[in-house]
Amino acid sequence: MPVEVILPKVDMDMETGSIEAWKVAEGDAVKQGDILFEIGTNKAVMEVEAPASGIIRNLVPASGEPIAVGTPVAWIFQEGEEAGAAAAPSARAPSRSLTPGEVAQPGGPPSSSVTPPAPTPSPQGGGETVARTANGQPASAKSDGIRATPLARRTARLNGIAIDEVSGSGPRGRITEKDVLAHLAKAHPPAPAPVAARAPAEAPTEGELVPFGPVRRIIASRLSESMRVAPHFYMTAQMDMSALQALLKRVGPRIEKMTGVKPSLTVLLARVVAGILPRHPMLNASVEGDAARLHAAVNIGIAMERDGDLVVPVLRGAEGKTLAELTRDFRRLREAVVSRSIQPADMRGGTFTLSNLGMFGVDSFTAIINQPESAILAVGRTVDTPVGRHGEIVLRPMATFSLSSDHRIVDGVTAARFMADLREAIEYPEVLL
Amino acid sequence: MSTLTEAAVESAVRELTYAEAIREALAIAMEADERVFLFGEDVGVYGGAFGVSGDLVHRFGTERVIDTPISELGIAGAAVGAAITGMKPVLEIQFSDFVTLAMEQIVNQAAKIRFMFGGKAKVPMVVRLPGGSGTGAAAQHSQSLEAWFAHVPGLKVIQPSSPHDAKGMLLSAIDDPNPVLIFEHKLLYKTKGHVPEGDYRVPIGKAAVRREGRDLTIVGSSIMAVRTAAAAQKLAEEGIDAEVIDLRSLRPIDFDTIAASVRKTHRLMVVYEGVKTMGIGAEISAMIAESDAFDFLDAPIVRLGGAEVPLPYNPVLEKAAVPQEEDILAAARRLARGDA
Repeated sequence: MPVEVILPKVDMDMETGSIEAWKVAEGDAVKQGDILFEIGTNKAVMEVEAPASGIIRNLVPASGEPIAVGTPVAWIFQEGEEAGAAAAPSARAPSRSLTPGEVAQPGGPPSSSVTPPAPTPSPQGGGETVARTANGQPASAKSDGIRATPLARRTARLNGIAIDEVSGSGPRGRITEKDVLAHLAKAHPPAPAPVAARAPAEAPTEGELVPFGPVRRIIASRLSESMRVAPHFYMTAQMDMSALQALLKRVGPRIEKMTGVKPSLTVLLARVVAGILPRHPMLNASVEGDAARLHAAVNIGIAMERDGDLVVPVLRGAEGKTLAELTRDFRRLREAVVSRSIQPADMRGGTFTLSNLGMFGVDSFTAIINQPESAILAVGRTVDTPVGRHGEIVLRPMATFSLSSDHRIVDGVTAARFMADLREAIEYPEVLL
Repeated sequence: MSTLTEAAVESAVRELTYAEAIREALAIAMEADERVFLFGEDVGVYGGAFGVSGDLVHRFGTERVIDTPISELGIAGAAVGAAITGMKPVLEIQFSDFVTLAMEQIVNQAAKIRFMFGGKAKVPMVVRLPGGSGTGAAAQHSQSLEAWFAHVPGLKVIQPSSPHDAKGMLLSAIDDPNPVLIFEHKLLYKTKGHVPEGDYRVPIGKAAVRREGRDLTIVGSSIMAVRTAAAAQKLAEEGIDAEVIDLRSLRPIDFDTIAASVRKTHRLMVVYEGVKTMGIGAEISAMIAESDAFDFLDAPIVRLGGAEVPLPYNPVLEKAAVPQEEDILAAARRLARGDA
């Protein structure tokens, strides 16, 4: 087997480097330890030694362009193994020097996504054109010699992709599942942007790249996972908020006296929802394998924003608490969120989530279920709306409630019964007494 | 909501140390079955080198809590003989390292007798083996030799990580008609955890998923399960979602739980205190490579094991020779980020 020469990681935080100059030429004989090329990092230029002795082949031109760490930049062949064995590496080496999003280097070979998978004969094959390996085995287009994980190969196989069409981003150019999926996405773009199609000559302006922080990474993965595992369906209803508004007006000052803070509509809604959820066990449940776990307690998560990230602290045991107690709990949670002292324990164990964006003037919206819960209630703003009452058009403060449910355990009728109960409790909160 | 009785509340919050949990299991078994007896160096009046047997000699007398001469081969042989003739001995090897002296009786006799006599004889004995490093006890008192015994058909080898499991698994071991070796990590003896009252069993051969995760699977047992669980908490704060499997039992090994996890996370790391080469990590890696879970691997399997040295006495070197929480964190980060 030829030995690959990779672009080494010579600096702690180095992700790419460049080849500044080759000290050897194609076809040169080198000894292990000989200087092969100069590598440039953003700090210094250093020399790279040969990892083995043999003949240098297929070296990537010294362009000064950034190349990902671990990319093969040349191969060292033993005497006699160059002809057949050279085919695979030479076909692959150029694709390795391209990182996603980069275009092919000027004068270089085209990017792998448009390269036909046919094996390319070695440019240094001399008179030898028969593609045979040193031991006489015919060299086929088989993926031998390609670094790819078993999962990457499996995913490629299931999607009918030849693994050698895929560029690897892992250590030493290893192809992982992510690379196969990226290749798939490139081959079948979800929806080509018409603007780009009309102006292909114009290079897209690169905006700022904001790497995910740890919280954003969790949000991204958890919400994608939720959409993947839970078949969402949505149900919307407008409800008359006058009774709740009156209630807040009446008890607000008293609760403020008790707790030092006015109860908000969000907390009142949490109280109302907690009051009816025990009658709707499937909406206070989690899917566990082939079963639904019905939670004994009602723990209402309240979606909040902190520095551009979503956090969902939990009002615990809300079914047994008064509005004053929930107001006090909520104040503590919000202060902890704001001061960034919120503990993971305060964000665990939610059984149902409430998301209120009414204060931003949003009329209505649908939310993604916060796994492993089975439903989330999205609340829009309360706005005076003309509605029919007793044969007359009157203005009433109406708000739109949208329930997202997990259809694995919540059916339409189950959700509708909850919504009916919710309307009853919002419009006649006395029923909760 | 049901109202818990006071006793149930107390039981639900009751905490014992790992050593106390083992002692409680021994007492329960000795109360329930007069054939159960303890056997070992200093297990009587002294209460055991690590205080595990404690006051049992006062509760059950010197006929049932027997101090033996310093001869591991002799006492292991006596235990095998007692087991064959209808008793249920629980043997303590003072430091698991000394089991090397008892290999003949455990490997050549205890493990073989039931097979060679066509099932007509049974060897219901339990060997308790305090093992592992971290106490400054040097090369002859700090090893983790469990993989040696997990290699032998006819033996069962368990490594509970919590007081709860230590009690439940020891009771299962005493019930078992086969020889069972229980490796107890010396650093775990003083760790506390919830232990229910009374008699309960934790099955031998069933791993426990201590934390569900999506990004990688980390398998460990005994103290490595504890360190891995702690590391996983920190990884979660960094956005790495590790699934933690506490192996609990090395033979029989719960391969299905590991394979199911690998199919889900696509990345596997095995953490163990025994010397890395030819150990538990090799076995688990090979099992995955041989199974259909292989096709779900998206990175090379990582083994994190003990260094290839006799354990040093110097405490800094001793620590460096065995995977610590920081080592697990660093290796898990590399694996999860695709640098492994």
